[in-house]
Amino acid sequence: MAKIDLQAVSVEFPIYNVNARSFKKSFLRLATGGSIMQDANQHVVIKALNELTLSFRHGDQVGLIGHNGSGKSTLLRLLANIYEPTQGRIAIDGRVSPMLDLMPGIETELTGYENIKIRGSLLGLSKKEIRDNMNEITELTGLGDYLNMPIRTYSSGMMVRLAFAISACNQPDILLIDEVFGAGDADFMQRARNKMISLLNKSSIVVMATHSDDLIKEFCNKTLLLEGGRIKYFGDTQTALNLYHNKE
Amino acid sequence: MQTESTFFDEALAQQNTTTFPQRTQRQLAFTDIIEGFLKWRVWLMLAYQDLKLRYRRSVLGPFWITISMAVTVYSMGYLYSHLFHTDLQTYFPFLVSGMIAWTLISSLITDVTEALYASDGLIKQIKLPYCLYIQRVVVRNIIAFFHNIIVIIPIIIIYHQVAKVNLYTLLLVPGLLLIYFNALVYGLMLSMIGARYRDLVQVIKNLTQVAFFLTPVMWNPQILPEQDRFIVMLNPFYSFVELIRAPLMGAHPAWATFAMVAVITLIGMVLCLKMFTRYRARIIYWL
Repeated sequence: MAKIDLQAVSVEFPIYNVNARSFKKSFLRLATGGSIMQDANQHVVIKALNELTLSFRHGDQVGLIGHNGSGKSTLLRLLANIYEPTQGRIAIDGRVSPMLDLMPGIETELTGYENIKIRGSLLGLSKKEIRDNMNEITELTGLGDYLNMPIRTYSSGMMVRLAFAISACNQPDILLIDEVFGAGDADFMQRARNKMISLLNKSSIVVMATHSDDLIKEFCNKTLLLEGGRIKYFGDTQTALNLYHNKE
Repeated sequence: MQTESTFFDEALAQQNTTTFPQRTQRQLAFTDIIEGFLKWRVWLMLAYQDLKLRYRRSVLGPFWITISMAVTVYSMGYLYSHLFHTDLQTYFPFLVSGMIAWTLISSLITDVTEALYASDGLIKQIKLPYCLYIQRVVVRNIIAFFHNIIVIIPIIIIYHQVAKVNLYTLLLVPGLLLIYFNALVYGLMLSMIGARYRDLVQVIKNLTQVAFFLTPVMWNPQILPEQDRFIVMLNPFYSFVELIRAPLMGAHPAWATFAMVAVITLIGMVLCLKMFTRYRARIIYWL
């Protein structure tokens, strides 16, 4: 049974090569983003997450909402074990699959098939698992013979198809999603949607950051509203959406 | 607001039943290093892919490494043996084997400094051990070395009195292993500093150029007066070059070379563990 626990977790980014003073002045006027401070060495530090205490349990499908810079992506990366908390403690049980930024790691000179293999290995699949999944992935992309061509010949929509299909091919306990529904034509969106639903149902915990209210309402049974790196509200989806929109 | 507070209480109640893993930075650092080795399939694939990408769509592919090496060393050998008024028979094998060794060492140093920030896209997206990226760069350069080493074959055939193939040639294997290990140890340190201070890459490129002239690659240390030779012996690059050059010439590297390498390796291990334990968790914020 997968579970995630955070206890007073903070994440602070040092920002280098910025003139601390001028940067600070101009940035303080902006309403969005985490709080900006200076550390002992006079570096500018952004507190992207501020003392979060949270628990996600089996069956939680959590929507993550908030303004740009409110800490959604940072939280997802924290859960993916990419960022380590600068303060506080974190415990994650279960195999995590991040679907964050789909593009990095895609080599444009290599063919679609080669990229599927590379991505599969990076995500920790064995050769056999990749082979077993290959049919499903090729079908999901709907790219057919194009998979034998180098990625640089693809249109941007085709690239999204491939990236999505590759990322969607493993079966995680914990699924982290960051705005993956992007380009792609209607036909593909329908297939991607079906795949997403089956992925969501197979995963024990889902955390999904998105700006689309429809997606949140459809897929999430809980919603976490972040503001300036803090929890503004965590619980019922409708209440969270109301809170989020009333503020504007 | 009321729902919010009850929800927090609930969360806190659940919190108390959770045991947070208590892992020290040292344990996390060791895990990273060990997993870096265990995921050999991934870094081998990435290293191979790097080379494949570099030479994709070229007819000769990675054998361009061999060809450019051959052109460089053969023309250098011919020119310098005349400039230095040395006998072609002794100088040519010395220079070629030295250049093969030097190319491996210098390209390792410059490449590995960029290892972490050249892969920042991947590092920010998928959690993989940091050591995996170092392995990738080191192995990529060792594969390139095996393309370069082909250049020595004509030399061994033509100058077989000087460059011999014998049992000592097998010392190439432990020599390469020592270089591989040191490349990982020092590579991890250099790549961390390189990620934090981007000027380091330029500094390292510059220093390796200088080191090339200070290290006996083009010139034989025998031409130095007896009392000055200790300078060469203290040069760490010389010891690593000798690890490859001596076996390629069919000779045993001096014991002093092994001693020097052992000392450097030990110092590197201690420093690397200290540094990696202390700063591992910070690396991601530097990228």
